[in-house]
Amino acid sequence: MEMVVVAPPAIGKIEDLRRRFFATPLQALLSLASLAVMVFLAWKLLNWAVFSAVFTTSGGPEACQAAAGACWSVIAARWRIILFGLYPYDEQWRSALACLIVVVMTVLSCVPAFWTGRRIALVWGAGTALFYVLMKGGVLGLPYVGEEAWGGLALTLFIFVTTCLIGFPLAICLALLRRSGLPWISRTTGLIIDGVRSLPLISILFTFAIVLPFALPQWLVGDKLYRVILGSALFFSAYQAEIVRGGMQGVPSGQEEAAMALGMRYWQRVGRILLPQAMRNALPATINQFVISFKETSLVIIVGFFEILASGNAAYGTGEWRFAYVEVYAFIAFIYFIFVFSLSRYGAFLERRMSVGER
Amino acid sequence: MISGNSPRSSGPAVLIENLDKYYGTFQALRKVSLSVDRGERIVVCGPSGSGKSTMIRCINRLEQHNGGRITVLGTELNDDVGNIDGIRREVGMVFQHFNLFPHMTVLENCMLAPMIVRKVPRADAEATARRYLEKVRIPEQAMKYPGQLSGGQQQRVAIARALCMQPEIMLFDEPTSALDPEMIAEVLDVIVTLASEGMTMICVTHEMGFARRVADRVIFMDGGEIVEQAPPDEFFTSSRNERTRQFLSQVLGH
Repeated sequence: MEMVVVAPPAIGKIEDLRRRFFATPLQALLSLASLAVMVFLAWKLLNWAVFSAVFTTSGGPEACQAAAGACWSVIAARWRIILFGLYPYDEQWRSALACLIVVVMTVLSCVPAFWTGRRIALVWGAGTALFYVLMKGGVLGLPYVGEEAWGGLALTLFIFVTTCLIGFPLAICLALLRRSGLPWISRTTGLIIDGVRSLPLISILFTFAIVLPFALPQWLVGDKLYRVILGSALFFSAYQAEIVRGGMQGVPSGQEEAAMALGMRYWQRVGRILLPQAMRNALPATINQFVISFKETSLVIIVGFFEILASGNAAYGTGEWRFAYVEVYAFIAFIYFIFVFSLSRYGAFLERRMSVGER
Repeated sequence: MISGNSPRSSGPAVLIENLDKYYGTFQALRKVSLSVDRGERIVVCGPSGSGKSTMIRCINRLEQHNGGRITVLGTELNDDVGNIDGIRREVGMVFQHFNLFPHMTVLENCMLAPMIVRKVPRADAEATARRYLEKVRIPEQAMKYPGQLSGGQQQRVAIARALCMQPEIMLFDEPTSALDPEMIAEVLDVIVTLASEGMTMICVTHEMGFARRVADRVIFMDGGEIVEQAPPDEFFTSSRNERTRQFLSQVLGH
């Protein structure tokens, strides 16, 4: 008998939908019911956020409160406090520019032309220095603004970026020490990592901000902001070190042997063979850790810093806008979402890019 | 320290004297002694666990020996890091599982060590790499990643990578054991060519046809000892040693 090969018939979009959602009467009913609920919720949300919302400050808080929808006027009236905190009003352009620098650094990091260790270090080193000079001033005719007046989005970004900038190299050092051939080094490092990991971040921040000044000599104390950043970097590095170590374990031992047999020294093997492959393995978990760290910056509120979430509290907390907290939080959530979502997409982009030539 | 082009002492390429190696309490090598002349081609065979891989891995200090002496090109292999680095620059190695760097292209695999270890300028390193890729007959694969190549091709790249360091001695640690049968010949052909050009080589392998064709001397190891060493004609035809004859009958018997 002759074999007849029949290609599966091409299915149109509508036919596909019908098969998936309306195959039986019961299925059709359930599909329609879910659709109705979704439309209803979407309508409610849109109605609140857009159609019945108040966008202008002209009517003042009272008119806004009377409206059925969202009161976005609070954002229009208070966005500067949310984004810049207590930073002097006339200098807030500097804070905005500083935030823009972080965005530019991030975008540059996505360009493959910058993917050599030296260039990436240059971008982040120079960018962070520029950020610092802009924020702090005192040079180039920029009025001085002390760290205690920094706030809002700029402070959140500053804490996040410096935490990663200090914490990431530290994490790599810890991971390398932990796989040292000398037991007393690897065990001590393990003890430090496990010790830091078993403490809550809040207690570390509190210790670095409040307790440490009593224990350190005066010249070592420094500004509270930098102590807090150090504490948060230490916390970050303890977790990241384990992520990096996990990535290293995924690199076959033959890789290091081949590099040794070619005469490469320790740091050449680490820099050229071990770390590039380990970081590739560790990428998904690393992006995860970055995302967590970004959101954990909000904990600095307990040691008295006005990062974006605390600034938001202040924005609605004063008198006439007290009723509009939902709108303020929605706005802040939106800002967090933009940054964290970009971070995740960047991670996905890196993964796709690195899977070239994967075994 | 050995430098790239200074006149060398005229002694053997590799001199191993009374080598002992322990893994914990297990003794992997027992008083192994072996002298390999310059240009000599040695094939090492023996049952698995006989210490043959361990022995050649001691020569470039992938394993640290516990007793005895190893002298490579006149330099003693000891705890002196300068000596170890110097010897590794002159001793190329090819592994059973290729161990190519998967995050680099074939060309980059071949250029990396010459550039960062020997400080060869990039253009020269690339020219050398392309020349050796030509020699192992895969110049067209230069821009691919190792994962895109067959096992036989990967092993030939690994040979080219080792040759790019312009080594005096080549060590082969079962270079064809992880290959599909149809790819063994293409790799052996490359090694045979290399042997015919006078490269000093020590090759651990079970390919007895290859040993017969190429080797100046065949070493048989068992239980961490060198049991017998002889030129291939003598080794394959008139060995009087019981363990050697048993091994040969197993390897050649089918």
